[in-house]
Amino acid sequence: MAQTRSTSTTTKHASPAVIGAGTRVRGRLTGDGDVEILGHLEGGVQLRGELFIGEGGRVVSDIDAGSLRVAGTLEGDVSVTGDVEILAGAKVRGDVRGASVSLEEGADLDGKLDCDFQLPSELADHAGHTGTTAKARR
Amino acid sequence: MASTVIGAGITIEGEVSADDEIVVQGTIRGKLDAREGVTVEAGGVVEADIVSGPLSVAGHITGNITSSDKVELQAGARVVGNVKATRITIADGAQFKGNVDMDV
Repeated sequence: MAQTRSTSTTTKHASPAVIGAGTRVRGRLTGDGDVEILGHLEGGVQLRGELFIGEGGRVVSDIDAGSLRVAGTLEGDVSVTGDVEILAGAKVRGDVRGASVSLEEGADLDGKLDCDFQLPSELADHAGHTGTTAKARR
Repeated sequence: MASTVIGAGITIEGEVSADDEIVVQGTIRGKLDAREGVTVEAGGVVEADIVSGPLSVAGHITGNITSSDKVELQAGARVVGNVKATRITIADGAQFKGNVDMDV
């Protein structure tokens, strides 16, 4: 099925989950589908789908998910098997680990980035000599 | 459209409080506090005490329900717990075990 990349919803899974702007969750959120958080979540997230923290959304929790997009506020470490997108206006405090991480201009990140990326071949050769920690793969 | 939807396949363990309307297709365990309405759809499971506005159930609820409005048990609903509400309907085919307190 096609996956829409609009800012509001993704339709990869049959039933989307939304934590609305007026909703607060204190506890663990686990499951299979995609989740959109526009409200407040504190506790834990363990998700196989995509987690989207919308504008105005606030999450204080470590995150374990398939992929992650942030336009709101996130405090916690991120461990994602897929892609991480930190969009303009987002505030992220914590270490971020993902297959790929993109950081839009205007996004705020306070933490470490941990991802494998491909360096241009000249740089990759050079990196080998200078001993940078960047790993060139794929 | 409800502003909070706990989709099928999603589980929340803990406390949920909302100014929005809540639709449960997945699972909530813990505590649920929703001033606006709560709808537990078929397949939805709530194992929690619920404080809410109008409540409509077609899924399963285990826990005490306190509603400031109407509680509607639809066919296929299974509710175990005490219900305190101003109005209540129990449809043919709904299962219910507990006390009803209509504050008369």
